[in-house]
Amino acid sequence: MEKKRVVIVGGGAGGIILANSLNQKDFDVTILDKSDTQVFQPAFLYAAFMGKEVPTKKIPKLIKKGIKFKLDPVKKVDLTNKKVFTEGGEYAYDYIVVATGTMSDASTVSGLKEIDDKYGDYHTSIENAQRVWKNLNSFKGGTIVLGQASPICKCPPSPIEGVLLTEMLINRRKLKDRTKLVFFTPYPRAYSAEPINNVVEPIMKERGIQIMTFFDLDHIDANTLYSLEGDQIKFDLPIIIPPFKGAKIDYEPKTVLDDDRFIKTDKFNMRIQGFDDAFAIGDATNIPTSKAGVGAHLEAKIVANILQGKEDKFDGRTNCPFDLGYGKGTFVIGSYDQPVVPYPPSRLNHFEKMMMEKIYWSSLKGTFDFIFNLYFRHTDPIKLNKKFSK
Amino acid sequence: MSMEENKIFVDSRGSSCPGPIVDLAKAYRNSKVGDTIEIWATDKGIKNDVTAWAQKTGNQVLSIEDQPDKVVVIIKILKR
Ligand SMILES: Cc1cc2nc3c(=O)[nH]c(=O)nc-3n(C[C@H](O)[C@H](O)[C@H](O)COP(=O)(O)OP(=O)(O)OC[C@H]3O[C@@H](n4cnc5c(N)ncnc54)[C@H](O)[C@@H]3O)c2cc1C
Repeated sequence: MEKKRVVIVGGGAGGIILANSLNQKDFDVTILDKSDTQVFQPAFLYAAFMGKEVPTKKIPKLIKKGIKFKLDPVKKVDLTNKKVFTEGGEYAYDYIVVATGTMSDASTVSGLKEIDDKYGDYHTSIENAQRVWKNLNSFKGGTIVLGQASPICKCPPSPIEGVLLTEMLINRRKLKDRTKLVFFTPYPRAYSAEPINNVVEPIMKERGIQIMTFFDLDHIDANTLYSLEGDQIKFDLPIIIPPFKGAKIDYEPKTVLDDDRFIKTDKFNMRIQGFDDAFAIGDATNIPTSKAGVGAHLEAKIVANILQGKEDKFDGRTNCPFDLGYGKGTFVIGSYDQPVVPYPPSRLNHFEKMMMEKIYWSSLKGTFDFIFNLYFRHTDPIKLNKKFSK
Repeated sequence: MSMEENKIFVDSRGSSCPGPIVDLAKAYRNSKVGDTIEIWATDKGIKNDVTAWAQKTGNQVLSIEDQPDKVVVIIKILKR
């Protein structure tokens, strides 16, 4: 039998895990990416608020022998004719998996581009995260405002993690009495899912963080944020998470993209709407779960199983570590049919988040699959909800 | 001024995190005055959230219907 050609667009967390999970006896695997380097994005948080290094690795070092990697930006995916068009040429496929993540687009909010260029952010690049760290260190007092500029945020705990780590830094720099910390969000409460909000909102309030809910950023002008709902916040130092969209790639048919360029994907079998031979995983999809590495990981495994003839179905599992500052943490754990668990904060949770950084690169190769499987079973949301939900 | 009035449909079933309120906020952002937004959700929290949201934003909840397998909410956009 001839090998099936699998083209994976995007060599981020999802794309690499998928490539490494396919058996090369049956599949000829090619990864296309516009960059040859993978950045460990969760570390942007610690670069911006603690001045730490962001680990990076070359993609060819992360993939198993036999997998082809091409540094070649993708411009168009023709699902009807099973072809991918890149800057360098074209690739025909038997199966395609799109794992292009998100891209930020500050230009969609008037005034945000200038703010982002000047003050940076902690979601888009190492340089931007370092800019946040620099600004926080030269800050002498005033109002710091932090929040997400659009309803979609990669890694939903990250806005609150950012404001809690800012508080910790300001406190350690003894600037607390000269600083007002304002957190804004388009949702009715600090964290969108209520059970975990009940865990984190009291902590934010206790640390003196002012929370502006229903604040959907409309525009920024003269050091003031204005919301669609008609409120305003004046600031001295802004830390704003830009809006996220899908990658700038054309699709045939165009109808597989939603208004924000995310790919309309079946939330159980990860197939792109209307196609049996095309899949999307990770942040690039429109499925109703958090945009997080854990999802990209689990979805990659689902697609690998389906391609290799095993029946499988994604259950919408999320499992996002949540840093609460001062060495404590919680987790956001839920699934399609289980509400998020009100998981109590602990030092162990924080330790697990720090461990994630240590094992990340080897986990891409599948080295720790059995530990992950054990861990996911151990933290099953049905079990945890029985224990922690009232 | 003539504006085409749209019906926006949002299937938020199965969303527990980040939750249906995120899908509502997203639909609101992409809407125009006169549009209606219909949301399907399995997370019952949507009922309180949508009421609070409409009050804050000055929009109108046309109906909230509890069905056996989901909640169906219909909203009319009066303000943007
Ligand atoms: C501050 C922060 C904290 C986070 N914390 C956590 C956490 O604690 N836990 C967690 O699970 N997740 C966390 N995440 C989220 C996690 O990093 C992402 O969800 C994950 O990387 C998504 O994987 P992906 O494969 O879908 O996309 P990505 O890893 O973003 O990869 C997408 C790839 O596609 C490529 N690409 C894009 N466009 C093109 C094109 N046109 N042609 C070719 N290639 C293209 C890109 O170059 C990139 O390599 C965090 C993210 C941030 C920003």
